[in-house]
Amino acid sequence: MAVNLKPVDVAVVGLGAAGGVVVLPLARAGLKIAAIEAGGWLDPHKDFHADEIFNNVRMQVTSVPKTKREVPTFRTRADEPARRAASGRTMMNAIGGTSTHYDANSWRFAPWDFQIRTATTRRYGAGALPNGSTVEDWPLTYEELEPFYDTVEYEIGVSGKAGNLAGKIDPRGNTFEGPRRREYPMPPLRDTPFTELMASAARKLNWNGHRSPAAINSQPYRGRPECAYHGYCDTGGCHLGAKNSTAVTTIPQAVKTKNLAIFDHAQVTRILSDAGGRVTGVQYVRGGMEYFQPARVVILASYTYENTRLLLLSKSKAYPKGLANNHGQVGRHYIAHWDGRDISALFPFDLNIWYGALAQGVVVNNWADDNFDHSGLGFIGGASMTVNHELHPIAASAMPLFNRAPSWGSQWKKFVNQNAGRTVGVYAQCTSLPYENTYLDLDTEVKDPLGDPVCRITSGPKENEPRARAYVAAKAEEWLRAAGAIEIMNQPLAREGPNQSWHAIGGTRMGDNPEANVVDKWGFSHEAPNLGVLGGSVMGSHGARNPTLTIQALAWRAADHLVRNWKAIAV
Amino acid sequence: MSETDHEISRRELIVSSAFVPLAALTASAQNAETALTPAQIKTLAAFVERLIPGDELGPSAAEAGAHVYIDRALAGPNAGEKQAFVEGLASLDAFAKSSQDAAFADLPPEKRDALIAAMERGTAAGFTNAPQFFSRLRRLTLEGMFGDPYYGGNRNFAGWDLIRYPGPRLAVSADEQRMDKLPAPNRRSAYGPQYGR
Repeated sequence: MAVNLKPVDVAVVGLGAAGGVVVLPLARAGLKIAAIEAGGWLDPHKDFHADEIFNNVRMQVTSVPKTKREVPTFRTRADEPARRAASGRTMMNAIGGTSTHYDANSWRFAPWDFQIRTATTRRYGAGALPNGSTVEDWPLTYEELEPFYDTVEYEIGVSGKAGNLAGKIDPRGNTFEGPRRREYPMPPLRDTPFTELMASAARKLNWNGHRSPAAINSQPYRGRPECAYHGYCDTGGCHLGAKNSTAVTTIPQAVKTKNLAIFDHAQVTRILSDAGGRVTGVQYVRGGMEYFQPARVVILASYTYENTRLLLLSKSKAYPKGLANNHGQVGRHYIAHWDGRDISALFPFDLNIWYGALAQGVVVNNWADDNFDHSGLGFIGGASMTVNHELHPIAASAMPLFNRAPSWGSQWKKFVNQNAGRTVGVYAQCTSLPYENTYLDLDTEVKDPLGDPVCRITSGPKENEPRARAYVAAKAEEWLRAAGAIEIMNQPLAREGPNQSWHAIGGTRMGDNPEANVVDKWGFSHEAPNLGVLGGSVMGSHGARNPTLTIQALAWRAADHLVRNWKAIAV
Repeated sequence: MSETDHEISRRELIVSSAFVPLAALTASAQNAETALTPAQIKTLAAFVERLIPGDELGPSAAEAGAHVYIDRALAGPNAGEKQAFVEGLASLDAFAKSSQDAAFADLPPEKRDALIAAMERGTAAGFTNAPQFFSRLRRLTLEGMFGDPYYGGNRNFAGWDLIRYPGPRLAVSADEQRMDKLPAPNRRSAYGPQYGR
């Protein structure tokens, strides 16, 4: 039998980008928290290296055992057998979770992202909404989330330049962003001749090219050093603690309050509930032993696939189809972000982008969101375009050949000798919407070593995203040519889009209507009132930017709501 | 747990596979074990030597030890693909014998080049999955040639010199991010000066 532990106020499942943030405001409010995390503390000396094979080829920071055992399966239709999805940097088990190894691009979503249905209908008519899409307005506006974006930017530390300071537009920042109450806590990461080349190419086209916002210190911040620009940030951890993962920011602060107990290397297997439909705590396995951690409130904050899987696995009398799933919404509205670096360019000169960080970049937002007139284009939304530093040698050697050389032999050697340091890709991130034909459930064949089914992704073809992407690819080419590129290579994605993603969202969507959403506007279940859900899984549409800062702002807001309504929620 | 009402019965837990410590994974990176037989290594070396040949731009992938990287990888983190890889090498040799009447490694460079080209194009008679095996071999050769010499390849920094990568540095100055002047190559492994020499 499971060992029964002493009850706590809040059990948090997963101590990553979202769970690692929510514990700080809760601990400061004096609530006693048990955080249960499947990974452990990573050691900057042992676990983080300036080594492409370690980080990117073998993915030894991210490819931790639990993740490898739970790779979701994938199919494009319900009548097709599911196969194992391509492994990637998706889930992560460690204190700090994915914020350990992410690029740390820390964006606010655009005000438009929160009201896509209303704004599209108003400007283009209801017929402009893509067929088969289940998109809704978010149950909150940008303005309601703004104070929490601000709090998180200052608590973890984000470098960048405001483009809209309380309504005052500044072309050095993102002129399309929603109004922010104050400047970023730090200036952008270092300008370089390459970032200047790309920003000035954007200006030539009358576009707004600005620096990426990054949760990386551009100067010493709250006792942690500035970035050393060593070029092994992506899919690796920071050897200096200059990347502001929750493992070096909010979690240590929460630990200091003495209100947070961390149970590491502990895998949650079920969230339990009583006959009245309230959750009672979580069951987990640690060192081969099974434990039960009773809690007055449970906050589920693992990755998108595991959030859905744990709810579907946690069946009870009150929830025969899975916890918080009496309306059949768990797993619906799943979105794998349409992002990728599939437009590459060749320049006739060295770019020297070997060093730095992925977040040391330049971004154009003119062709994202509703920042341009879509009349007659046949799609809504668009993509942000980023070019950035941090090129690794194996990746550089595998560069596209632009029909200029064979793929091996002495001619190839000559080609890479001249050109490996002269190529760059545009990272395009598309607005991505939920569809009827794209969802998560439990696989019927593949199980993890504990005997529980893994998550199954079903992702059907789309029209809107490929059109938006093709449109923006042409803009990316214009930008690269304006900067002096002599060759362009474009490799578009399949119409089903990506399957497994490191920007995977949905499955426990947030919305006012319990018939179509799993959690309310605060992130608490419509069905189990003392169950909160955090992470990308609550988001109903994916903006044209990296999701983490929005996930973190929603986490802080959920904590704020819980503290203010503790008596009503915890009973 | 009498207050809870749930469907889970007590389950058998697979304790041994529950958590593999990260240290066990990282240790595998540095093992110098071998996965291939001397004959297989000879075939592999004869292949990588033509993929990236020695010329005025520097040493071949074989001189740089790309095949050593691949062999060690197959003995450790890439063990899952070892069987398919060994079968691929056997198919390569069978193809060489049927078309040129000699083992692949015993053929002169031009003949090896012709066989590799046929593999890449998918015109290697009787060699099923030749383009896929070519593409996997090419990818692993790039990893061996351009990865950190800690793993057995990129000897003498031949790969990094070839593509003019200036080498890992723990801190990089603004001057080292200039476009008009690349930093001088530091010819150093991320794991210390004992690797790559």
